[in-house]
Amino acid sequence: MKKVVSVSLGSSRRDHKVRVELLGEQFEISRMGTDGDFNRALEVLRELDGKVDAIGLGGIDVYLFVRQKRYAIHDGLKLMEAVKVTPVVDGSGLKNTLEREVVRILTENTGLLRKGMKVLMVSSLDRFGMAEALYDMGCDMTYGDLIFTMGMPYPVKTVAELEDIANRTLPELVKMPFHMLYPTGKKQESQDEAKVQKFANYYYEAEVIAGDFHLIRRFMPAGMNGQTILTNTTTREDIEFLREKGAGTLVTTTPEYEGRSFGTNVIEAAMVAILGKPLEQIAAEDYLELLRRLNFQPRILRLT
Amino acid sequence: MATHSEITDSLKVFKDNYNSNERLKIMNRDWDRVVVIKATDIESLHTLTVMDGVVSLKEGAVENPDLTVISDSETLADIFYGDITPTEPYNNGTLRIMGQEDDIIRLDFISLMIWGE
Repeated sequence: MKKVVSVSLGSSRRDHKVRVELLGEQFEISRMGTDGDFNRALEVLRELDGKVDAIGLGGIDVYLFVRQKRYAIHDGLKLMEAVKVTPVVDGSGLKNTLEREVVRILTENTGLLRKGMKVLMVSSLDRFGMAEALYDMGCDMTYGDLIFTMGMPYPVKTVAELEDIANRTLPELVKMPFHMLYPTGKKQESQDEAKVQKFANYYYEAEVIAGDFHLIRRFMPAGMNGQTILTNTTTREDIEFLREKGAGTLVTTTPEYEGRSFGTNVIEAAMVAILGKPLEQIAAEDYLELLRRLNFQPRILRLT
Repeated sequence: MATHSEITDSLKVFKDNYNSNERLKIMNRDWDRVVVIKATDIESLHTLTVMDGVVSLKEGAVENPDLTVISDSETLADIFYGDITPTEPYNNGTLRIMGQEDDIIRLDFISLMIWGE
């Protein structure tokens, strides 16, 4: 049996372990949250190194892709570099491929994404592939990175402007402590009430809300009116949260196992274990081919 | 070591660059903040005020600012002239910024939007 572990800076309340069969092979996939404790995450990674088949890093991005440019978050790199033997991934390699594919599938096979639809991406620089795919298929985009991360009422409307801002700021912002850029640990369990109130209209006006689930959750107001939520990592509790808020449909880009969808870091780690190739030899096409062989489809759940 | 007037000049350059950037003024139109800049190695205090998206500068400090930026004179002049970014001195402790975390990130962001690639 192959073992894949996701080590997350997120809350340990979301820890779980499942056994699944992928392409005829048994996998044990588990998650270990470290409640935002960076040093604990380093310890766990060092303990696991050489003892499991692949490791995913959760609750933190290491690489941010903006078209051909790649920016490395320094805190994420420190975690990655703690692992010497076992392949370790953050999900960014797969995200760029999988999420473009999901946009294509939803557009061609469902009515959930249509040209001209108003889409709010609460965060987009952590999933540029999705941001670009939605823009290219003609959605009326609002990229909310500045709104929700900086508290700045400035909706970015085009990929070109998103790219411009990213290229000016990311080379330095990636050096900042990660907790200043993204909620980690216990912060993931609460809402930012001031921003929920201040920026509720961006949620109400959108037909689709996309991006990282922790961020979507952190800023979602009550009284939503049936919007589609396009994200990846959700638990049963998250689904209840979305129902209570009034969301209409949940689409998760990664498959469901035992009631929850896993982060892309977990799925990418499992794929790396299947491929059995050195990380530097794995290309986007390998992931795409594997997605087809595994018949991965977005999961669509009606909430009302 | 930079002089007080060099810090003043650097802040004028920062203010002028900010105020000629229409996008930044829109981005910060509801971010009214008072920022005191204090040198640790010479007598030098300045106050930058952001009001309705526009930045103004005066010499001296005010009480109860939203943010206080503290560093040696050379680092302050370098930052506001755009010769270095604030991130590295902030991370290594040469630059201290007292205030809300969101405001600290915002100030860093503004500087990067002025001087970034």
